[in-house]
Amino acid sequence: MSDYGVLLQQVVNGLSLGAMYALLALGFTLVYGILELINFAHFNVFMVSSFVGMWALEFLGISGQSHVLTGLALAGTLAFAFAVTMIAAGVLGVAIERLSLRPLRGVRGTAAMITTIGVSYILFNVILLTVGAGSENYPNPLPVVRWQLGEVTLELKELLIWGVAVALMVALHFFVSRTRLGKAMRATAQDAEAARMMGVDVDRVIVTAFFLGSALAGAAALIFGLYYNYTSFIIGYTAGLRAFTAAVLGGIGSIPGAMVGGLLIGLIETLGGQLIAVRWTDVIIFSILVLVLVFVPTGLLGRSAPTKS
Amino acid sequence: MLEFSGVDTHYGDLHVLKSVDYRIAAGEIVCLLGGNASGKSTTMKAIMGSVVPSRGDILYEGRSLKGVSIAERVRRGIAPVLEARRLFPRMTVYENLEMGAYTQRRGPEFAEDLARVFTLFPRVEERLRQIAGTLSGGEQQMVAIARALMARPKLLCMDEPSMGLSPAYVEQVFDIIQTINRQGTTIFMVEQNANMALAIADRAYVLQTGQIILSGPAAELRENEMIRHAYLGELKVD
Amino acid sequence: MAELEKPLIRIAAPLFARISPRLRARLGIVLVTTAALLFPLVNQNDADIDSAANALAFAALALGLNIVVGFAGLLDLGYAAFFAIGAYAYGVASSWQLQPQWSGFWEPFQWLDFVTRFHTAGADVVHFQVSFWLMLPVAAAIAAFFGVLFGAPTLRLKGDYLAIVTLGFGEIVPIVARNTPSVTNGAMGLNGVAAPQLFGYNFGVDATPYYYVGVALVAFLILISQRLKDSRIGRAWMAIREDEIAAAAMGVDRVRFKLLAFAIGAAFAGATGTFYVAKLQTATPEMFMFPVSVMVLVMIVFGGIGSVWGVVVGALVLQILQSWFLEDLSQWLHALGRLVNIDWLQRVELASSIELIFGLILVLMMLYRREGLIPASRPVPALTVNEQTAQAVRGGFSGLPDLGAVDHDAQGPLLDITDLTVRFGGLVALRSVELSVPAHAVVAVIGPNGSGKSTLFNAVTGFLPAHRGNIRFVGEEIGRLPPHAVLERGIARTFQNIRLFPNLTVAENVMIGMHARLDIGPLGALLRLPKTRREEAASRERALEILSLFGNRLLPRVDHLAASLSYANRRRTEIARALASQPKLLLLDEPTAGMNPAETLELADQIKSLNRFGLTILLIEHKLDVVVSLADKVVVLDHGEKIAEGTPDAVRRDEAVIGAYLGRSAAFARV
Repeated sequence: MSDYGVLLQQVVNGLSLGAMYALLALGFTLVYGILELINFAHFNVFMVSSFVGMWALEFLGISGQSHVLTGLALAGTLAFAFAVTMIAAGVLGVAIERLSLRPLRGVRGTAAMITTIGVSYILFNVILLTVGAGSENYPNPLPVVRWQLGEVTLELKELLIWGVAVALMVALHFFVSRTRLGKAMRATAQDAEAARMMGVDVDRVIVTAFFLGSALAGAAALIFGLYYNYTSFIIGYTAGLRAFTAAVLGGIGSIPGAMVGGLLIGLIETLGGQLIAVRWTDVIIFSILVLVLVFVPTGLLGRSAPTKS
Repeated sequence: MLEFSGVDTHYGDLHVLKSVDYRIAAGEIVCLLGGNASGKSTTMKAIMGSVVPSRGDILYEGRSLKGVSIAERVRRGIAPVLEARRLFPRMTVYENLEMGAYTQRRGPEFAEDLARVFTLFPRVEERLRQIAGTLSGGEQQMVAIARALMARPKLLCMDEPSMGLSPAYVEQVFDIIQTINRQGTTIFMVEQNANMALAIADRAYVLQTGQIILSGPAAELRENEMIRHAYLGELKVD
Repeated sequence: MAELEKPLIRIAAPLFARISPRLRARLGIVLVTTAALLFPLVNQNDADIDSAANALAFAALALGLNIVVGFAGLLDLGYAAFFAIGAYAYGVASSWQLQPQWSGFWEPFQWLDFVTRFHTAGADVVHFQVSFWLMLPVAAAIAAFFGVLFGAPTLRLKGDYLAIVTLGFGEIVPIVARNTPSVTNGAMGLNGVAAPQLFGYNFGVDATPYYYVGVALVAFLILISQRLKDSRIGRAWMAIREDEIAAAAMGVDRVRFKLLAFAIGAAFAGATGTFYVAKLQTATPEMFMFPVSVMVLVMIVFGGIGSVWGVVVGALVLQILQSWFLEDLSQWLHALGRLVNIDWLQRVELASSIELIFGLILVLMMLYRREGLIPASRPVPALTVNEQTAQAVRGGFSGLPDLGAVDHDAQGPLLDITDLTVRFGGLVALRSVELSVPAHAVVAVIGPNGSGKSTLFNAVTGFLPAHRGNIRFVGEEIGRLPPHAVLERGIARTFQNIRLFPNLTVAENVMIGMHARLDIGPLGALLRLPKTRREEAASRERALEILSLFGNRLLPRVDHLAASLSYANRRRTEIARALASQPKLLLLDEPTAGMNPAETLELADQIKSLNRFGLTILLIEHKLDVVVSLADKVVVLDHGEKIAEGTPDAVRRDEAVIGAYLGRSAAFARV
């Protein structure tokens, strides 16, 4: 393959990864937009959900790549797996909000954020202690189908990722722009007090944001497992860092920002890994995070970030 | 229609409203006047429910509002036009109006209410698809009033509708307030601009450091020297 | 209990109760120190001593993070980076890791005993062997440098963004360490780090000498922490933590003090890093990643954020929990499991779930006891009935403590504002305002809501930049100065919404007002020279003098937290704090807001007497009677412009003024 072909392949890979990061970043940014809270636990909800997805698929009898399904069976299996994973993730997110964040609603400062660090730790270690530190082979019913387009290889699973990601993003967009509750969410994010005066139940809006955000993380988690064919207790940290940076880069609190940021970070990861070295990608991404927060805190598409008055 | 009975409110240990009594009858325009830090805004907040009285009671249509949520109050017919408008800046005018109708059922009433609002505010109809944050102050005030009307209120609570507006818009706004009132909505208005307010009100209360020092028909108060003293903050030490 | 001990306790207990708290604290310290020193002699188990030494290292880290997070309120989530920097500094300077070719360049270093010449098969190389004792302060200094470097970009950021940026830096450091194996040997760990030597005695692998070094290190860091905390430096940090804006308005240079906190906190970690790596004789990047930063954070949250002994106890308890208690508890659970025949109980290993426990502790502490085990603020005795009531007294102050900077012979305008235009939030908040405040006058600024009065104060005190125009104070242009510099020049202010430091006592609040007039720097605070002690004592006395102006209202509450005061008393404390800075010009923003008529008149008289003693006053006030009784001149603002100026009586009758307040007349009237 020519150099050009390699790069193009990495672009394709980057877009697939980016779609997954975008979903994860979206969930994160939904909560931030309303509460201005950096929820560390979000990324380990992602990690836990990937295990839930794995168990859901195993429940259907699929383990490893031994069972390959097609057509209706495949669609049904995937639908089941996504449904279970997303709902479980959503419930977990809501539980976290109820138990550990609601009591801290009025407290100013970083207390709530610190609590999410603690919750994140708990999730991380529960998995580590129960499932162990090894990588789990992810059950994958997808047939391995490849298409060759010039120098680039496209796999079925990549189409799946794009399909699911686009579908979810469209659904989210539809939700926030056309449904009553969705608009209430946007209104609350822009002016919670005024929204309350319109009769909006702000508590309900917050719970909805957590549910939806976590469900998106759940979808991203299942995608991760199907794409990489593995999962482990550490993926919350690695994918989380990238999704977090994506949200910040795109403009924290902005929904289109999370989508754009996700794609950019996916591309940066694959191209960076190709052009520089894989072991430096973490540093590159952390550096982007720091640089954006220090110099352009609003990100690419976001509104003004809070600084000292 | 609305009655405050011996209401006290506190902000921490700060005694804001001190045993105030208001009475607003259906169909009236009543305004609440006073200088800075007199407790006008707190009164509004108490009606809407974001401030809870520490003593006394607020009655709406004869029933106490104690324990009634904000959403429920809106449903019962009290709608606010907030201080400094507070539109949802990144939503369109149309979406802001939709939010105003949040507590209402979505049905033919929505279209009816929109039509009514468009008649009152032709400008709003023109700007329907525009992002609210890009409108001028006066236009935003129109939208804010329209938004409140979408909740089909019986009682419209307006917090400083003239603030930050150019004289031309102030006149328009007060004109519209009178029209809305003639159509049957009771208006309770907090205003800094005493002259304009008294020109259209039926009755008025004057508040100073949390206490009512004057009340009565607007015509009488317009002639009363005390208003000037109250506004300029002259203490009554007795 | 043995027969001998009962009567002893009966005698000792009442004696103990009679000892003053001061002496009790000293006694406590002596006991703890003795216990610490005797520990290895009592418990000869090397593994235990080793655990204890590790625990001490984390106590040192906790002390360092406490300065950044607890004192200054800067949430640093990447603290382990400084730990790493200190570790690798020593690790590289005193190990077999680096072996450059020998050349003449290295000879002076050999002479200083920093390196030796080593013969290998290929050629002669340099072997680094800088002394451990020398590296302790050097590593601290290097870490401090990085503290400033990493802290500088965060200065303007809000709390959670600051945390994320520090987290970023905190992760970059160990990853860089992992990816540069030529320097650090990456994940395999540094090669052969040298053990410390003391007068020829090599520390070797026995844990005991390291333990004693640890004790000394922690004791030293506790001393530094306490000294800083009870000094001007500590107060400045806490002011920043409580309310940055008010801190700046009271003369605290935020940039300088935030960087100082980062630097000193980092230095603690740097020294500890050297200690830790010398003890382990290797270092790997895994030892310095995010979980370590979180662990130290959990320790200080658990022990008590801001409390020096609290964080030490927190760190020791959690470390000991990890290394001793959990092991034993696991054994118990295994035995229990065998007893009731539950398989899972027989296999559980609590020690490996330490991180889970840390997470639980963090969440539970945040939800239920945010102040930690040993809270930083102490309880205060209740007030007597007498102390609780106070009558409003007319007549003002009979005498003032020396206000210092008031120059009784000054002529001409003290504050001269010309053509001032200020933009704020996209609008023109002030437009071509002219205002001059003559020395020793009281000038009042009045106007309806939103007319720009507070904006004027903000522009004068350096919180808002002027788009156009000049602000001259005693002839000097101050428009471009930051708030703390404005205070230094002699302008002090109060805020419309009262900005006190809520978790600091009344006395501490007032003493922060003196920040700019005191001289003590970090070194002075540390050394506690007689000059420093005198200045501290004098400043506390002055604070009490100023507070006594308000008589019974504030004096009984001197050691109460500001947050617990009534609204009116908080206002008075804020004024006292402003007075403490020895201002020439006092800016009061609605000082009588929220006060009843009697209190209002009392305060008005007090302001008048301040003026009689020479203080120039610029005052925003709504109550016109107050203005009439106090002001020599009144300036009226409306919509950002000056619409009238003159004596109170003239202004009060001015048509334009009345119009501004009551609103422009209706163009139509209701029929």
